[in-house]
Amino acid sequence: MGLAAIVVVETGTADSYPAAPADTKTKQKAKAGVGEPLPCVEIMGRSMLERTIERFVHANVEVVTVLMSGDAAWAAQSTRNAHDRVKFKSVCDIGSAIGKEIREFSQSGIDHAFIVSANVYTETDLFDFYSFHRESQQRATKAIDRDGRLGFGIVDCGKALEIDIENILMRGEGAGSSYFVREYVSQLNHTRDLRRTITDALNGRCAMRPAGTEVKPGVWVDEGAQVHKRARIVAPAYIGRGSRIRQDTVITRCSSIEKDCYVDWGTVIEDSSILSDTHIGISVDVCHAIANGNKLLNLERDVVIEISDPGVMRSTSPVRKQPRSTIHPEEERVIVADLQEQKLSTPEPWQLGTNPIQG
Amino acid sequence: MCTRGPVIVMELPEKLNHLEGTTFLAEMKPLLESDRPRMVLDCSQVQHIDSAGIEVLLESMEEVMKRDGDLKLAALSPSCAAILELMRVDRLFEVFETADEAARSFRAIAAPEVAQTLPWYSGGYGITDLKTAS
Repeated sequence: MGLAAIVVVETGTADSYPAAPADTKTKQKAKAGVGEPLPCVEIMGRSMLERTIERFVHANVEVVTVLMSGDAAWAAQSTRNAHDRVKFKSVCDIGSAIGKEIREFSQSGIDHAFIVSANVYTETDLFDFYSFHRESQQRATKAIDRDGRLGFGIVDCGKALEIDIENILMRGEGAGSSYFVREYVSQLNHTRDLRRTITDALNGRCAMRPAGTEVKPGVWVDEGAQVHKRARIVAPAYIGRGSRIRQDTVITRCSSIEKDCYVDWGTVIEDSSILSDTHIGISVDVCHAIANGNKLLNLERDVVIEISDPGVMRSTSPVRKQPRSTIHPEEERVIVADLQEQKLSTPEPWQLGTNPIQG
Repeated sequence: MCTRGPVIVMELPEKLNHLEGTTFLAEMKPLLESDRPRMVLDCSQVQHIDSAGIEVLLESMEEVMKRDGDLKLAALSPSCAAILELMRVDRLFEVFETADEAARSFRAIAAPEVAQTLPWYSGGYGITDLKTAS
C-alpha cells in the first residue's frame, strides 16, 4: 500500500485551474502588489507551498508531485528544502496532468493520492482523512470546512481514472460524502490572506510556527538577522533571515519582516508584512499593509501604491522575481506616488525626533 | 510594587502627571539595576494621564530597553487606552488584560513543532497507528 500527494500551484498564466472559488477578477486581485503566486510567497521564513510539501513529507507520503501551471523551476527555486520525494512539473493543462499523474501512481503501486491546491493550507490530520476515505469506500473524497469546499481531497488511484477528479475535488460536483475539516484552514485567495495567516501563526491560533528562533516570548528572529539594540520589537513579531533592523525602529502588532529586508532608522512597521528583499527608508510609517519592493498594498483600503522614490521603499534584489504581469490596469487601482520632489538625501534632525522612544 | 518570579509588577498612581510621574520614576529606577529587567506596569488605578504621564511610560521603556529588558502594560482603562492610541504610543507596548497575564507572558515560550516521522499509513490502521500519528 502506498500513498502519494499532488500539490497544484497556479501561476496565473493558465486559467484552467480554479483552485478556490475565485473568479478571474479575484485571481488578479489576489496577486496585487505581490507579483507571484501567493503560495510561493515566503511568509515567516517559508512559503505556504513549502509548508504544504513538508506536511506531506513528514507524514511519510511516498511521492509528492508539484504541478505548476507555469514555470515549475521558478517555484522550485523558492522551495529551499528540496526533498528526494518531491518532484516539480510544469504543465499546461492541470486537469489532464492530474489524470496522468494518478495513472502513473497506479502503475507504480500507489493506491491513494491526496490532491491539494497550494492555495489551501490545512492542518487536518492526514491519517484521519485517509481513514475516512477508506471507510466511505468512495473513489474520491473531498474535504470541506465550515465555509464550504476546499481544494483538497483524496482519490483511489485505481478507480480515479473513471471519474472527473477535478470536478469532484475542486468544484465539488458529483462527489459523495465529504470529509469535514475541523482543524485550522487558511485559503490564500487574496493578498490580505497572507496577513491573516501570519497573524494567526504569530498569535498561536494554528500549529504553524515561524522559522528561526523565539528569542523572547513571541519574537522570532531567523538566521543572520541583525536587530539593533535600540530597535523596539513588540511581540508577536518575526524578523526574517539576513534582515537588518536599524535603531529606533518599531516592529509591532504581529508584523513580519521577511528575508533580506532592511528597515531604516526611525521607521514603524505596525500590523504589516514586509516581503523579502525590501528596503524601507528612514522614518516611514507602514501600517496595515503589505510591502513588496516599491509596492505597498494598503489592506484597509485595498489599494496598491507604487512608490517611485527609492529612498522611501525599494527592492533590494538586483533581479526581482517577476514571472509575469499580474495586475490589470483597469481592474486594480494603482496610485503612483511620485515622491521624487520630496526626496530627502540626508536625515534632518527633526526626523530623528519623530520616534517617541527617543523622548 | 510586587514581584512575580523574576517579573516586577508596579502599580501606576491614579493620576499620572508630572508630579506623580517624577515620584514614580524615582521609585522605579533602583528596580532597574538588575540585568534584563522584566517589568509590568499595572494601569488599573490610572484615571488621569497627561503628556507628562506618557513621557513617564516612554522613559521607563527606554530605561528597561537600555538594560535589554522588557516592559509591558496591563489593565488599561478604556480612557487610558484611548489616550495612548491617540498619542500612537500604544503600539510601543504589549498590552494585557491583567497584570498576571502580562507577568506570565514573560515566561511563555511556545512549544516547538514536533515532526511526524513514522509512516502512519503502513499496514492496517488501528489504535496503534492513531497513537503513532499523533
